[in-house]
Amino acid sequence: MVMKSSRTMSFSVRFGVFCASLGLFFVLWEVAALSAGNSLILVGPIPVLQALIALLQNHLPRGTLGIQGADAAILQTLATIVFGFVLACIVGIPLGLIMGLWKTAEVLIDPWLSAAYSIPIVILIPMLYFAIGADFYAEVFVTFLLTVFTIIVNTHHGVKYVSNALAEVGKSYGASESQFVAKIILPASMPDIISGMRIGMGRAILAAVLAEVLMSGNGLGGMMMTFQDVLNTPYMMAVVFLIALMGIAVLQLPKVLERRLFRWKETESLSREIRR
Amino acid sequence: MKASYTRYIILSGTLIIFVAVWWVVAAALNNPREIVGPYQTGTAFISLLTDPPLTRLLAAGLQVTLTSILLGFALAVVVGVPIGVLMGRYLIVDLFCDPWVNIWYSIPAIAFVPLAMNWTGVSATSSVIIAFLITVFTITINVYGGVRNVSGSLVDCGAAYGATQAQIMTKIILPATLPNIMVGLRLGISRAIEGVIIAEMVFTVVGLGGLMDDAADNLQLALSGALIVVLAIISLAFAEAMKYFTRRMVAWKESQAMIRE
Repeated sequence: MVMKSSRTMSFSVRFGVFCASLGLFFVLWEVAALSAGNSLILVGPIPVLQALIALLQNHLPRGTLGIQGADAAILQTLATIVFGFVLACIVGIPLGLIMGLWKTAEVLIDPWLSAAYSIPIVILIPMLYFAIGADFYAEVFVTFLLTVFTIIVNTHHGVKYVSNALAEVGKSYGASESQFVAKIILPASMPDIISGMRIGMGRAILAAVLAEVLMSGNGLGGMMMTFQDVLNTPYMMAVVFLIALMGIAVLQLPKVLERRLFRWKETESLSREIRR
Repeated sequence: MKASYTRYIILSGTLIIFVAVWWVVAAALNNPREIVGPYQTGTAFISLLTDPPLTRLLAAGLQVTLTSILLGFALAVVVGVPIGVLMGRYLIVDLFCDPWVNIWYSIPAIAFVPLAMNWTGVSATSSVIIAFLITVFTITINVYGGVRNVSGSLVDCGAAYGATQAQIMTKIILPATLPNIMVGLRLGISRAIEGVIIAEMVFTVVGLGGLMDDAADNLQLALSGALIVVLAIISLAFAEAMKYFTRRMVAWKESQAMIRE
């Protein structure tokens, strides 16, 4: 029997199974917390939710004097993510475009890309700490650095694999160089560029939080490690939950949007997630 | 032949440019507390390989880091591949697991670090857990995609000739999915390496990542730089090994997924 696409299943069945698996997850979590029997190891979903609500109302637990309020921490992390990500797009999309259009640029830039893809760039953070400090701008730079290659690679791929048929029609109808790029290359590679941006955004979250943990100790990352240090597991897990939620929102929600926007192009990158 | 020569020339040219720029920047800033040049880093690298106390440190760190990466990765393969196959083959498993696989896949690695610290402390075990958690879903997603894309006519053909379910699985679906499995493993190993290094940098007491972070904290930037070189070499070696295995195992199929890489 050949597997049919799960899209053929009715929405209510899918939703029902999803709710069941959601319920099972919370039950398993609670059971695991009960059997751990030690709030330092794992706490159940209810204390975590309580802590999360308290955090969102900007209440901090006792014993954590001197750290940022939750709202300031969230704002700082979001600002780092957004600045780093926007910078990475401003640099990465044109570079990817140039690489896709000019063979020379591709040959010259490609070694850097494959190196940056094989070597985890996170190993540079301790060195960067001394080279550029541990302030907001340093964290934005780390975020930029961890995000930009994903965006370059995806843009490059999108531009490089624009269908030849499209490109030739444009050329034979006498499109100028700028028309060729603006009217054919860009729209045709847009799905890849967008999915690169989506995955880049996921990287940006990792980068910003990691930079906060290793560099300034501010923001959500710093807050998470502070709660870890004072052994306040519910609050620590609430921050973890918040960070996880950001990752899920950034990586999963736009996928739905992409499917709607680019229904005309069922790209590999949409059907399957193969970029890191 | 000629193409590969050009490739080597460009690669070495890139490396030379990188070292030259690094050298110039380090010389211009001339502040050993901010940045060390390639020369000091090279010297530290050599002493890391020749100076007995440092060599012992390196060997211990290397052992812990490599074990963590390989163990986390192996666990992720053992768990991730079967789940991916089952999800691709059985609708109910797909419906049940798909949201979770995607959700867990989207969680940044750093979010697992404090959780693992709570479970197993600041230890290599925690690195293994983190490596496993951020690798397994990547592998599952790729295997799942591969199984779903196995051509129906292949499976029908097998069924028409009376292949059993087990035969269909081992003789048709698994071989046809191999390219995707290999892509999953390649992406997986790079994520496992990143996960272990992130964990070790936060822990600061285990493995090469910890050694590197610790050296930087003690202002031994040259040593830290040398350890970065070691970690870079390890990562490159893993990446090249995976590429080699992929070529060996799926030489018969230049799949779309491999071209994309």
